Amino acid sequence: MWAVPVAGCSGVQSALDPAGGDAWDLYWLTIVMTVGATLIFILVTALLLYAIFSPPERRAWLGTRRTIIYGGLAFPIVILSLLLPYGLIGMRDVDVPQSGALQIEAIGEQYWWRVRYPAEGEQADFSTANELVVPIGRPITVSVTAADVIHSFWIPNFGGKIDMIPGRINRFNFTAERPGVYRGVCAEFCGAQHARMAFDVVALEPAEFDAWRRMQAQPAQEPAIPLLARGRDLFRAGGCGSCHVVRGTEADGQFGPDLTHVGSRRTIGAGQFPNNIGTLAGWIANVQHIKPGAKMPSYGSLTGEDLRAMAGYLESLK
Amino acid sequence: MTGRRTGQVLLTLGGMIAWAVQFTIIYAATSTLCGRGWADATLLGIGVVQFTILSTTLVTLAAAAILLVVSLRAERQGRHQPVSATDSFLCQTSVLINGLSLIVILWHGIPGIILPACA
Ligand code: HEC
Ligand SMILES: [Cu+2]
Repeated sequence: MWAVPVAGCSGVQSALDPAGGDAWDLYWLTIVMTVGATLIFILVTALLLYAIFSPPERRAWLGTRRTIIYGGLAFPIVILSLLLPYGLIGMRDVDVPQSGALQIEAIGEQYWWRVRYPAEGEQADFSTANELVVPIGRPITVSVTAADVIHSFWIPNFGGKIDMIPGRINRFNFTAERPGVYRGVCAEFCGAQHARMAFDVVALEPAEFDAWRRMQAQPAQEPAIPLLARGRDLFRAGGCGSCHVVRGTEADGQFGPDLTHVGSRRTIGAGQFPNNIGTLAGWIANVQHIKPGAKMPSYGSLTGEDLRAMAGYLESLK
Repeated sequence: MTGRRTGQVLLTLGGMIAWAVQFTIIYAATSTLCGRGWADATLLGIGVVQFTILSTTLVTLAAAAILLVVSLRAERQGRHQPVSATDSFLCQTSVLINGLSLIVILWHGIPGIILPACA
């Protein structure tokens, strides 16, 4: 019987399966409050039933001054006096910026996430989209803002939500404890496709993270075979480059997601579809059908062959 | 209203008045001091904001404690002599209100110790 409710609790997008510092504090706060409130509720309900159904002489003690003072005054005062410092200490310790944190910038846009990694030491800066890759064990500060309307950045396994507000920068601090793939979502209604605005969070071992970062800073790969070269030409001819950047080519549009290494991402469409040639082709031909209102036009008139070439080209951009 | 009644009513409301004073001072001081950039200024070794919160809390706490003692005395006296229903109500209410005010003032002071002043 427990299998059904509990099945939803562990996993890539669950506040009940913490994978980093603050998420643990919030998790324990939830447990303490829920369990405590349940116990008190049961106690009060039991007393209520007792007051209703037991014979008058047995329930008389419930109405005495002493019961009221201890049960009605002292008990809540003690409980609240314990919960207050507990809550305040949690508030103090949650989301504290750490020195030496890895800096990442995330910008919410209808209906996707622009992600930037500023330069650090030898490492050059670069942009990506719909994906937050982080090393484990190192504090991370994500500075968030929005380009159009208010969004909210939330990775349940790593802690609380933080609003993304145009013209304002908010910061979210966390440390990933264990490698894995998690999922973040937009937690503030932002328009028609709000529900399809998610992103992947990939926590890697530090060495793997460094390799990933070096790879992302590189310009896009040259197409290796004629089919892919054809895809690149179609991409150019189709005007995709007016909205998308593919670093190393003349495509330098800033409006949509950076596609330089789109083939290396796990999903497309802001966490909506697995990333492969089929879904890429489906996306290009049918965006307005599968994500109506997304700010990219459908390219429904491409032939199947052209679509495959273009999708193949994007998929090759590892 | 006779003088005695006025005194009784003031005693009954005393704790709440102390709480209101604390509330007003700590909220006004925190927002003003933080707004003016005094977050890091110190007084007698502790931050000004914390200092204001702590001293206000201690003074109002003392006021509420005195009021509680006075109202407890009055209530105890009332038990040994015949008093009117109004008197007895006011006596008991004073004890309750002054006691609760004491706790509430304490609760309002605690964040000043635990949380950073202007965050
Ligand atoms: C008007 C600007 C615009 C044009 C032109 C455009 N796109 Fe897009 N594209 C976007 C936007 C905006 C998104 C993000 C949509 C969303 O997820 O809500 C996007 C998303 C994508 C994605 C998914 C990226 C990811 O990481 O999720 C791919 C792939 C893509 N576009 C390919 C193309 C191709 C190929 C073309 C040309 C045939 C093209 N786009 C033309 C604006 C544009
Ligand atoms: Cu959103």
